[in-house]
Amino acid sequence: MFAALYAPSLPAAALVDVARAFTPRFEQLGSTALRNTALRNTALRNIVLLDASGLSRLFGSAQELGEHLRDALSKLSPGDSLPRVAIASTQTAATLLALGSPGLTVVMPGKEAIALAPLSVSVLDHFEKLSESAPQAPQAPQAPQAPEHGGWHHPRSTHQASRGKRRAPENRVLEILTKWGIRSLGALTELSGPEVHERLGERGALWQSLARGVDSRPMVPWVDEIPFEAALELEWPIEGLEPLSFVLARLLEPLAERLERADRGAAVLYTSLRLTSRTVFTRTLQLPAPMRDPKTLRTLILLDLESHPPDAPIDIVRVYIEPTPAKVLQWTLLERAQPAPEQVSTLIARLTALMGEGHVGSPQLVDTWRPGAFAMSDFRSRIDDQLKKVEGAIEKQSANRQSTIDQQSEISNLRSALRRFRFPIPTRVTVSEGRPVRVQTDRQGFTSGAIVQAAGPWRTSGNWWETPGPRQKSEPGSNAWDRDEWDVAMTDGTVYRLVVEREVGQWFLEGVID
Amino acid sequence: MAGKAAVEALLRDRKLDRTLTSTLPDRLGEDAVSPLDTEALDRGLAGGLPRGHVSEVVGPSSSGRTSVAWAALAAATRRGESVALVDTFDRFDPPTAHACGMDLSKLLWVRGQAVSKTSGAIDPAWLPGVRAVTGPGTFIERVIDRAIKSLNLVVQSGVCMLVVIDLIDLPATALRRLPASTWFRVERAIEGSDTAVLILASMPVARSAGGRSIVMGDSPARGTTPGNECSAPGKPCSPPASVIWKGDHDRSRRLAGVASQAGITAARWAHAARVDVSTTVFNAV
Repeated sequence: MFAALYAPSLPAAALVDVARAFTPRFEQLGSTALRNTALRNTALRNIVLLDASGLSRLFGSAQELGEHLRDALSKLSPGDSLPRVAIASTQTAATLLALGSPGLTVVMPGKEAIALAPLSVSVLDHFEKLSESAPQAPQAPQAPQAPEHGGWHHPRSTHQASRGKRRAPENRVLEILTKWGIRSLGALTELSGPEVHERLGERGALWQSLARGVDSRPMVPWVDEIPFEAALELEWPIEGLEPLSFVLARLLEPLAERLERADRGAAVLYTSLRLTSRTVFTRTLQLPAPMRDPKTLRTLILLDLESHPPDAPIDIVRVYIEPTPAKVLQWTLLERAQPAPEQVSTLIARLTALMGEGHVGSPQLVDTWRPGAFAMSDFRSRIDDQLKKVEGAIEKQSANRQSTIDQQSEISNLRSALRRFRFPIPTRVTVSEGRPVRVQTDRQGFTSGAIVQAAGPWRTSGNWWETPGPRQKSEPGSNAWDRDEWDVAMTDGTVYRLVVEREVGQWFLEGVID
Repeated sequence: MAGKAAVEALLRDRKLDRTLTSTLPDRLGEDAVSPLDTEALDRGLAGGLPRGHVSEVVGPSSSGRTSVAWAALAAATRRGESVALVDTFDRFDPPTAHACGMDLSKLLWVRGQAVSKTSGAIDPAWLPGVRAVTGPGTFIERVIDRAIKSLNLVVQSGVCMLVVIDLIDLPATALRRLPASTWFRVERAIEGSDTAVLILASMPVARSAGGRSIVMGDSPARGTTPGNECSAPGKPCSPPASVIWKGDHDRSRRLAGVASQAGITAARWAHAARVDVSTTVFNAV
């Protein structure tokens, strides 16, 4: 059972207060749909839908409940504009009746279509504007396609097309229904459903079902949006992270409790510190997974501030949490336990504080042929979905098959690893007949001497289109490369990868095959 | 021998035979090890790298030591496990690791400072926004200190099932200067857990009681024999047998891989297991 309240003379907040006095389950219709429309300040905003199920024990029958609601609204709006209250078994019927019928209307279950029949069709237009589930860009009904006449158009059709362009598209169905002589909802329901669909499209079919009082979407109860924010003005400025940790604990623990009650987790953590220098120092932490453990949140803030300390004592501490629905995970007994997101986040924060930003994470390949190119991304210990598990099982089976094959031989076959020097080491290379024959480097720990075998050159180039011009030296930040690679074996068995930058003719030690 | 048999029988009667080497299984259970998914090495390791223990893989340059460590990481990521690499001198190459079969999204890569070996100087292109390596001791000591601290953080968190620390380019003197308590602390942190730690170094560093030591480059064919060294450009010399080439002509020759031998030892093992290891360069297949 649903009750709809409509009071054009009352402010929306007053209507919400009345609804909240009866039930916590209510919805302010059009609260989001009308936010960005020209109807923002119209009376259409003042309609509230209540879930009246279970209220009979408190307020009696549906009729008595309706009278209670009407009286509560009348007290707030003394005057000639009487509030409208409608109670019906569907929210659509209740809303349409509140929009179209004055006073109190109570409809017994199953009688919605009869009660709605005398209402004007224009009520549906109002209802659609309120409803979030209505199509955002209503499709114009598909007119029967006239046969092509070699580019010739009837003047009347051209005129109609131009008229159609001038009119607002949302009134098109209403306009067509009016032309058909359909004035009431009862008349609309009497039309043949398939034919309405054929002529007016999805929107026409939706209007017809609404005219019968059928719900097109579930009710979305109102949820109070109280920001997850806490602040503390300190009596004396604090300096250093240790005293700040106590302040953060005091702020975060109530916030974490509220998050738990709302079944939410923190997605983004904003820490705003007003300093004695009258500046505001703000840090933002994007959390990899929703979490609400106050100790973890405090540790993450402290580790971040350890890396980026404020430059003056702190006067006011403010913490704001951007909430997100908590993650629901179905664990399994058959898989190895995955680490908690809090553990991973704390570890990453600690490692980042130790090693520096950009030095902790997962490597990611980038779409380029540039040797050694990669990008860093956040490390997340992911919970594999079922598909991945299946893929893993298949891979495991194939790996087992491979193992069976390997079992026949005594040699373990592996892929060669390349130990790449992130900044290639300049070397002096003696070249004979176009091939390197000797390597000399000043760096200790690297083999210098004769090359016993060499393979190459493997010439690669790329991003040359970023260079300013032919034979001009590329800019330092450019990703362009043009080089020859050589794999060379030294006398002690070490295999180096040498590169020569063709632009400058400089040889570098790029890595070791290991 | 009769006396030994009598003592063992007595211990078995009193159910105190857990200390006997003869009761040790030839191959550990699947949950107790982190296999490398290569049968020959796994057989030599009695199943794989034991979980809850510190193992090491050591050897000279181009002996396949890094390939073995990457194979262990790749196998673990294929099983869906999270792994970590503490890369002391930032030598990891993601494209090659991907070609080795590593799922990079499951790898926690802790990048140390890209510094040339024993140069003692920071590379000029050091990334901005990174904290300066300051503190007591020499530059190298501070870099190592950070790597060891990172290793401790990772193993204590229990997030990763296999943790590899790369100490290959560490000077031998700096490696020897690391106190033994460093590795005891790591052993203590992972004891009884599912985490396996693998130390990658050029010389033996540490191994826990249940861990394995993989010594690469044991092959007698490795390197050049005396009298066969090339001292001057153009002088003919035979290549080391450990490097495998394809193609006979200078212009068609390409590096195919490296052959080596791994000697695997562990506490209570009477003999080291010998496994032939060959690596294949991924773009030469």
